[in-house]
Amino acid sequence: MEEYTLDIPVEPPKELRSLFIPIPPAYVEDVYKSDDFLILVGPQHPGSGHMRLIVRVKGDIIQEVIPDPGYVHRSIEKLAENRLYIQNIPLVERPAIMDAANFNLGYIRVIEEALDIEVPERAKYIRTMLAELCRVGTHLYDAAILAVFLGHTTGFMYPFGIRELICEALVRVTGARFTSSFIIPGGVRRDVDNSTLKWIYDMTLAMERRLKSFERIFIKNPTVIARLKDVGVLTKEEAIKYGVVGPFLRASGVEYDVRKIEPYEVYDELTWDIPVSDAGDGYHRFLVRVNEVAQSLSIVRQCIKQMPEGRVISEQIAENGEDIRGSFYDSLYDLVLPAGEYTTLTEGARGTIIYSIISDGESNVPYRVRIVTPGWLYLRGFMESMKGERLADLQAIYGSFGYFPPEADR
Amino acid sequence: MIDIFQILNYFFEIFSSDMMDIPLIAPIVDYLMQIPLLNILVALILWKPFFAVVIMPGLGVLTLYLLYIVWYERKLTARIQWRVGPLEVARPIRGAIQALADGIRYFFQEAIVHREAHRPYYVQLPILAFIPVLLPILFIPAGSAVGIYTPYSIQLIVTFIALIPITIVAIGWAANSRFAYIGSVREAFMYFAYEVPFIIAVISMIFLYGSGDAYIAVEKQSTIPGVLLNPIAFVVYIIAMLMATSRLPFEIPEADQEIAFGPFVEYSGILFGLVMVLAYEKLYIMTLLFTILFLGGWSGIYCPLLGDLNGPLWLFIKSVVVISILVIVRSIYARYRLDQALRIGWTSMLALSIVALIIGGAVGVWLS
Repeated sequence: MEEYTLDIPVEPPKELRSLFIPIPPAYVEDVYKSDDFLILVGPQHPGSGHMRLIVRVKGDIIQEVIPDPGYVHRSIEKLAENRLYIQNIPLVERPAIMDAANFNLGYIRVIEEALDIEVPERAKYIRTMLAELCRVGTHLYDAAILAVFLGHTTGFMYPFGIRELICEALVRVTGARFTSSFIIPGGVRRDVDNSTLKWIYDMTLAMERRLKSFERIFIKNPTVIARLKDVGVLTKEEAIKYGVVGPFLRASGVEYDVRKIEPYEVYDELTWDIPVSDAGDGYHRFLVRVNEVAQSLSIVRQCIKQMPEGRVISEQIAENGEDIRGSFYDSLYDLVLPAGEYTTLTEGARGTIIYSIISDGESNVPYRVRIVTPGWLYLRGFMESMKGERLADLQAIYGSFGYFPPEADR
Repeated sequence: MIDIFQILNYFFEIFSSDMMDIPLIAPIVDYLMQIPLLNILVALILWKPFFAVVIMPGLGVLTLYLLYIVWYERKLTARIQWRVGPLEVARPIRGAIQALADGIRYFFQEAIVHREAHRPYYVQLPILAFIPVLLPILFIPAGSAVGIYTPYSIQLIVTFIALIPITIVAIGWAANSRFAYIGSVREAFMYFAYEVPFIIAVISMIFLYGSGDAYIAVEKQSTIPGVLLNPIAFVVYIIAMLMATSRLPFEIPEADQEIAFGPFVEYSGILFGLVMVLAYEKLYIMTLLFTILFLGGWSGIYCPLLGDLNGPLWLFIKSVVVISILVIVRSIYARYRLDQALRIGWTSMLALSIVALIIGGAVGVWLS
């Protein structure tokens, strides 16, 4: 299409100088001189999370998106330096409360690796089950957000309704709807009885039936497919180059999953597949997660079937008995990690979570806790995938990535 | 004094010469007509042009319909989405006056006019927008009750409906904000996408009936309704109606997740209440025309007790049933993108409307 330029002097609006946007004034001037338009989406906007997106559009086509993360930064890493190792457990769950068990698990595994704590088999199964329940919950939450970003309110309500089952399961196991702090060094807080396990087993089957109605109304909906297909495409090379992680990397055709590459807990004893797709567009990023929900529910069922009897807390931690209840603080308050740096990789719902603890070997608080969350890792790929798409696709791509600013900002 | 009585008498003569004849309330009307001064009021209310415009199917039932449809839409959506919906305002009637409560709240809320707005236009336009919305009511006949009778009533209604988007674009311009600007551009694009197929679909029906007179249209549907005579025009009209009233899947100018209610983003208080119901009123007017063109208008089972009220009542009932079915799309579909909606408008809908035009011409020859 031929372009017609009008030689009208355009002044950049004054508010762009007073809004503390993290771009140089020269950039703003350049945008206004070249017939483009700057749109500030967020941090308080129905179609963005708590993050400002500075969108440069030419007509309806997005030229560039500059993220301005940090709006919900809570300095979790700094706070962690002033607390006991066990006091950090509730803290490190906070970045993504839907995905609490995976965040919790990653942190605990660093401590266990540093102290060479052997975890009992039953505790490992319970941990795996919790992690997968949280994964399902997070994927449902992201699906709901994607639906409401596309204007599909039924697609928003169904996953939240289905997610209540996950919350109920977590309540029955841990006592809290999501941030349960259930996983502790050496095992889990308490055992799970058989009737609860039976309930969770039945719940996964009930959930699959409900997911079918969600599939009918949202996943197979022609308008949804029209909005998401071939939108925000990241090729395999681009996805690797920009360091995309998790289901979004797998949607671009890279078969990478920490649970398979470096299996932790009992993932190597269970049979499951990595859902992969080659398309790399918004719809397949969503589909990969939908397939992961099915895999996760299968993992939960396998965990319940194969769960052995025995202790749920390591003998190294609870020396006196099988139960840590009542002596939790006494057993764990004086944890001191040997000097050095310890790192683990965990596959959270949205991707790889990197936990790294540096200890000086003598204090009972960490010297440094480094958390790299998946949201922060795929932010670049997320921004790159929006180039050249239409303005209305911004929300579709946002939803297809399930970007969660509190998680990325930490 | 005599002059005033003469004038009043003159008006009374006019009003009482053309009154709605409703046997159900005839004894009350007869009694009231004997009371001086009150009789002129009763005669005015029951004067057919006044009754059509102000009571039914005009402003009076339009207000009732607004209260009903906002509640019904929310309740239906809630039922589909495993929720309860509005309930707390008047629990015994399941929250049915929720819209009224919201309206009262809007009324007493502060209406903020931001600094960048073109103040006079910004405040006036929500009120001015009602002119093209309400003018078609003058020409919509309902049985024997009609505001202004004209043989070109269908054309006139379409003309006034076509004026509505202009006020919305002007609202977006007066708001002078980024999202409002994008919203008005989208509204203008959508206007072009649906208006041409919509007008062609209506023209095909005018061809079919051989006249733009609503009375002739209804008369010709006495055996077969218009929906069976020209089903393609019916489909085009429904899609155009969804696009014109920005309902999902074509809720593009107001997409709240993308551009935060587009042209109306800056409005608050009663001004927001006014612009929010614009689309519902447009839907009502378009559905009245839809009922006349495709569903046999005001013809229905004649109830002798209601007399002249039969026509307006049937028209209203049919319209509300159609709207109640249409609101279900809100909970089924996601929003299309602007370019996809434009593609639908300019390719498949335009092609379908031209097919409808041919069918309309052919059936029109067969009918005449």
